Amino acid sequence: MQVRRPDDMRERIRMLSGALRGLADRPVKVMEVCGTHTVSIFRQGLRALLPPDVELVSGPGCPVCVTSQGEIDAAVSLAGLSGTTVATYGDMLKVPGSGTTLEEERSRGADIRVVTSADQALSMARGDRKRNVVFVAVGFETTAPATASVVIDAVREDLDNFMVLNLHKSVPPALEALASDPEVKLDALLLPGHVSVITGLEPYRFLPEKYGIACAVAGFDAEDIMLALVEVTKQVRKQEPLVASLYGRAVRPLGNTEARSVMEKVFTMKDASWRGLGVIPSSGYSLREEFSRLDVLERLGMTVNSTLPPEGCMCGEVLKGLIDPPSCGLFGASCTPVHPVGPCMVSTEGSCAAFYRFQRGRRTDWEHLP
Amino acid sequence: MTIDGYTVSPLSFNGGDIGKLSVCGSANDLSVRGARPQYLALGVIAEEGLPIRELMTYMESAANVCRSLGIELVTGDSKVVPRGQVDGLFLSTCCIGRTTQTTPLGAANLRPGDSIILSCPPGMHGATIAAHRYGLKVRGLSSDCAALWPMIEPLLPVPGLRCMRDCTRGGLGTVLCEWSEAAGLGIEIDEEMIPWDEATLSVCDILGFDPLHMAGEGCAAIAVSGEDPDRALGLLRAHSLGERASVIGRVTEKHQGMVGIRTVSGGTRLVDRPVGELLPRIC
Ligand code: SF4
Repeated sequence: MQVRRPDDMRERIRMLSGALRGLADRPVKVMEVCGTHTVSIFRQGLRALLPPDVELVSGPGCPVCVTSQGEIDAAVSLAGLSGTTVATYGDMLKVPGSGTTLEEERSRGADIRVVTSADQALSMARGDRKRNVVFVAVGFETTAPATASVVIDAVREDLDNFMVLNLHKSVPPALEALASDPEVKLDALLLPGHVSVITGLEPYRFLPEKYGIACAVAGFDAEDIMLALVEVTKQVRKQEPLVASLYGRAVRPLGNTEARSVMEKVFTMKDASWRGLGVIPSSGYSLREEFSRLDVLERLGMTVNSTLPPEGCMCGEVLKGLIDPPSCGLFGASCTPVHPVGPCMVSTEGSCAAFYRFQRGRRTDWEHLP
Repeated sequence: MTIDGYTVSPLSFNGGDIGKLSVCGSANDLSVRGARPQYLALGVIAEEGLPIRELMTYMESAANVCRSLGIELVTGDSKVVPRGQVDGLFLSTCCIGRTTQTTPLGAANLRPGDSIILSCPPGMHGATIAAHRYGLKVRGLSSDCAALWPMIEPLLPVPGLRCMRDCTRGGLGTVLCEWSEAAGLGIEIDEEMIPWDEATLSVCDILGFDPLHMAGEGCAAIAVSGEDPDRALGLLRAHSLGERASVIGRVTEKHQGMVGIRTVSGGTRLVDRPVGELLPRIC
């Protein structure tokens, strides 16, 4: 979470907010695709600084939020196997499957460990060859290359006690699904800097070209986000949509070719089911044939069940930016961060959780603060 | 009187160890209520195989805190349990103190217009432990684990002292949320006025934690009446633990039961408290 404080930060943000006010000559609906952006926008309280014409909606870029209930169930049942350690990223622990969460299973004695990198999971497998280690691999292009590289290492080292529950997904196909959905109607997108470092800019070009959507690749602190909003608002005003990169030289048109070739070597694309968005063609990374023995589902002959979302939960509409979370009937009533109903309330990057934690609904009126 | 149990992994960390923590923690709980910590009972549960020499260093650091505060260790107990039943070492301390305050300090004393002072950068202990737990190396990172009594004692006679809390589990955010709820008043703070520790911010940045949720172990939030925060501030700053003390906000009549913050970008939002264990985000 960003709390940098160059002396004149408030002044610079104030100027950017003024510029935005001047530029916005029509309603602009901007989706921030990535959960990291969502959190930063709320944490910095930026919504309070936007002109009324600029509307921000959160997108599907919170890896936990789009993980389906069936996938969580699969992880939970793996944790129940004897001699098995399940290693995963922290956000995953609290997400409810259809019955329970990984966190609950851990408190009942299942061996579930939080890692911050795929490497740590691989080290566990190296450290104890008698235990099976299943790495629950979630995330987009930011975490997929690391999974690919541990898969290669595991095969090279012949670590047959290391397996992957591979849930990696790809951002651009999800954007295509949103852009082509007549209900959604976006004017602009804030694209995540760190994903774009890997993917490059090419995979996004169809957005302005085919759908007329203004795009800016942006970093995560308040100033980056405000600059990106100014950029897309300018594009909308001039009616000249394009993919602008404001993330510095780290984003190259073709992305990080090294990381992409590792991913290319290990993964092939398949259709994947996104919570709330349904099945999106070619949006999931699946292990290639020669690595399939690391695929825990294949190895154990398991399948992921498709399940219905919890009753009343409108995460699907939230993830598409069709409604804001307070419009869900359960928001703040039966669904709160302490008792979450849907994943958007669980994940720290989920937009329901952000609306609740930082605004307790729609309110941004803290105008009289010091 | 207070009682608390202490587990920490690692047992020894930059800025302290479990021995120091176990005495400071309970002594601080008394100190912020305005009571001088005087007597201590210590329970030790050690895992079989913990080297005696290591145990003795923790006992020595506990003893050091007692000596420096004039706390008498009146009773204790120790048990060794089979491997795997505790994580190395578990300490519990019960501390008894005496207060001369005529009105008890507490959130019920808060009034609109009161100033909120923070004695040092928030979250340093939590960040130090989190960095260790998730394998991060951050330069300059150190726990703030310390006994608050010497810094707090001179404050007690200040008229208009309303309440104090050490910002342990749940961090500064949790303390302020509890105050605002208990008093039925609002609290507004300014992120720019908080004396941040850069290393703590880096850890939070990487793991996706809110620094307002990170625990401190030698960091106090102090509310004093609005007219004269300078006297309390001066007394705090005169002590090495309070060198960076700062007025970070005030109590308001508006938005009762909630804590608002003006962020470093000039935006505004609510401050919340963490739900359950803090877990690092995915990317
Ligand atoms: S508020 Fe809760 S139930 Fe409603 S959409 Fe969000 S997560 Fe689902």
